[in-house]
Amino acid sequence: MQDIVDKIRSRYDVSEVTEQRENLTFVTVEKDQVVPLLMQMRDQEGFSHFVLLTAVDWIEEGVFQLTYILNHPGKKVDLGIRAHINREHASMESAHHLWQQVATYQRELKEMFGIDFPGSPRVDEEFFLEGWDHTPPMRREFDTKKFSEQTYFPRPGSKSYDPREYMKQKLYCDDYEEEQ
Amino acid sequence: MSKLKDILTPFTAWNNLARDPVTVKDPVNDRPGSARYRGFHQNDIEKCIGCGACESICETGAIRMVPVEGVETKEGDSGLRPEVDYGRCCWCALCVDICSTGSLTMSNEYIWVDEDPEAFTFVPGIDPKPWDKEEKGWKKPEPDYELNIKERVSMPQREAEEREDSFIEIVKGYSREQAIAEADRCIDCGICQATCPAHMDIPDYIRAVREENLEEGFRIMYKTNPLPEVCGRICTHKCEDVCAMGHRGDPIAIRWLKRYIADSVSQENYQQALQQENPQDKDKRVAIIGAGPTGLSAAYYLALMGYTIKIFESQPRAGGMMRYGIPEYRLPYDALDMDIDYILSLGVDIQYNTRVGADVTLDELHENYDSVLIGTGLHAGKSTRIPGTDHKDVHQAIKLLREFSKGNEIPLARRIVIIGGGNVAMDITRTLARLQNQKYGEVHIITTSLETEDVMPADQEEIDEAREEKVTLRPGWGPQKIEIENDQIKGLHVQRCLSVFDENGRFSPKFDEEDQAFFEGDMVVEAIGQGMDISFLSKKVREGLDFTQRGRLMVNDWFQSKQEWLFMGGDIIQGPDVIHGIANGHKAARGIDMYLRGDLRYDEGRNK
Repeated sequence: MQDIVDKIRSRYDVSEVTEQRENLTFVTVEKDQVVPLLMQMRDQEGFSHFVLLTAVDWIEEGVFQLTYILNHPGKKVDLGIRAHINREHASMESAHHLWQQVATYQRELKEMFGIDFPGSPRVDEEFFLEGWDHTPPMRREFDTKKFSEQTYFPRPGSKSYDPREYMKQKLYCDDYEEEQ
Repeated sequence: MSKLKDILTPFTAWNNLARDPVTVKDPVNDRPGSARYRGFHQNDIEKCIGCGACESICETGAIRMVPVEGVETKEGDSGLRPEVDYGRCCWCALCVDICSTGSLTMSNEYIWVDEDPEAFTFVPGIDPKPWDKEEKGWKKPEPDYELNIKERVSMPQREAEEREDSFIEIVKGYSREQAIAEADRCIDCGICQATCPAHMDIPDYIRAVREENLEEGFRIMYKTNPLPEVCGRICTHKCEDVCAMGHRGDPIAIRWLKRYIADSVSQENYQQALQQENPQDKDKRVAIIGAGPTGLSAAYYLALMGYTIKIFESQPRAGGMMRYGIPEYRLPYDALDMDIDYILSLGVDIQYNTRVGADVTLDELHENYDSVLIGTGLHAGKSTRIPGTDHKDVHQAIKLLREFSKGNEIPLARRIVIIGGGNVAMDITRTLARLQNQKYGEVHIITTSLETEDVMPADQEEIDEAREEKVTLRPGWGPQKIEIENDQIKGLHVQRCLSVFDENGRFSPKFDEEDQAFFEGDMVVEAIGQGMDISFLSKKVREGLDFTQRGRLMVNDWFQSKQEWLFMGGDIIQGPDVIHGIANGHKAARGIDMYLRGDLRYDEGRNK
């Protein structure tokens, strides 16, 4: 694995290398270097199998982290390629021309995070959520609990008690009232 | 060649015929979830404290905290238990991962058929389910994965060498970063609030630290406690004993966070932060006896209500035990004065060096004031009354501490034996150790108590720090006799104490007479407890009061005595500690307010 990492380092701006375990290493590169790197890994280094593409929302840093995982069937090792993109108007170069199935992952990321992949086939079509007109639900500013409460109203008669208030009522509430 | 390979390759799959199948043999009857499957919920009801962290984290609103039969609300346990609604649950297991006690888990069971849709809302551990005893399933994976931060931010302190001859405060206080990090550990459950005698809004002021809104935190503290500088330092912090985070890690450092807020607001900004005044718009006057925690707390709340307050204090300064009992290395006078000065700034009048009973009588106060509150505390040191205690070199700890606080010189022998295992014993031990260091350059103190170390009433940190300061602690010995030779104390004879209390919890020490020891010393200090001095109660007043069978003064829930104009609180009623005094003072202030409005009678107030 080290030789591949060294090769990548020699040609790309690698900001971070994480050796997760013996057969899985992550490298972080600049956003516009991802597709060329994927292509080189596929065509010259034997990482012929595309495993997955996923995203993490680092809202505090204002970025999405994209992770592409490739597999080398012969060496039985995985390589993760990471890049950060701006959360604002999030957009990334499509990689669907390298592996057909990438388009499906990109369509999912468009729906779940609102990350655009211009030119990716069917990227604007509904993927999993039907009739969704809300913030993309995997973005961290999406308040899942609030959405859940508004959309799925509570059962009639159900009630929850706040432990602190409940203990006060049970253990030490007094009936003092301030003079008006 | 490659063609031959192409033809033969498919036959390699025949190898698999000899392998064990990876599929389940009987998929209809036997289809267990995997060992860490996130299936149906389980809850260990005994372990659960009803903190509601599971409910707070649940993204789908599937958990509700509900009262359940057979679980009682008590200190440290809200009595509520989580009810799960499987119409909403998404089996993400965050509730399991955040659980403060580790009681909530998930079994690997995932099949449940019922015709009644309501059945799918249930209280795990209370409503019996077939998977209750299932071992497999999702548990909190330990130790690598933890949503809660178990370790408290450690408090910077002066090292033993630096403090052993100095009265400079030991604890240095949190920095901003440390306080925020510690406040961040709080899960905001509020279990602590019921246990705090003053029922301070603890989660709220911790939130204020987190959000860096310290003036707001300061206001929140003053709602229930006008002595935050004091309590931020020397409170007995019972709240921390029940902290939800304490079940699997360190409890939140509630006391240190309180101190951080109090220290962050400078004295000249008190008025700006609190925005309070004493309107003095009521024509009623209240006399308070004793400017300790109870008296000061009551004075503060009564002043805000608009009453005219006068405190009668026997000593030259205010503070009571906070000034004359607790040594400066634990509670610097500056910090105490910040709290006191603010209370006095609300127009509370205080008359020093005035002992009620001697300089003014209680009956006079009764005549001149509409109500009187007694918060005189426990200042009379108790004696072991063993032979030799009448010797001039046998002293009472509480008296030595008081004299030393006043700046007077106190007796100091080269070798001292101290009797007592409580915080006062530790206070006098550590005070005398510092003075010995200053005067003789070495410490020679033996402190002995009836109780063994595991049941000594002193705080553990006091015990540990005393040892660090080179004091010899000999717990588990009963004093028998002070050895005196040529009118000089030679030391203390003791015998092994086997138990302190009988099975009814009554004080009845048992000794092993065979196991004797002798602790050498030139001076003995007794610190075995204090009693109250209520000799100022005239016969007439006393006859109108209720006493318990054990001779304790009786008051109703509002600290009102049977003499309805007379209220009492603090160490003479409850405690003894500062926070009970503050809480009693606050409640008594509200009681006095009701009494003066004609809304409170002794019997009606009682047993409500």
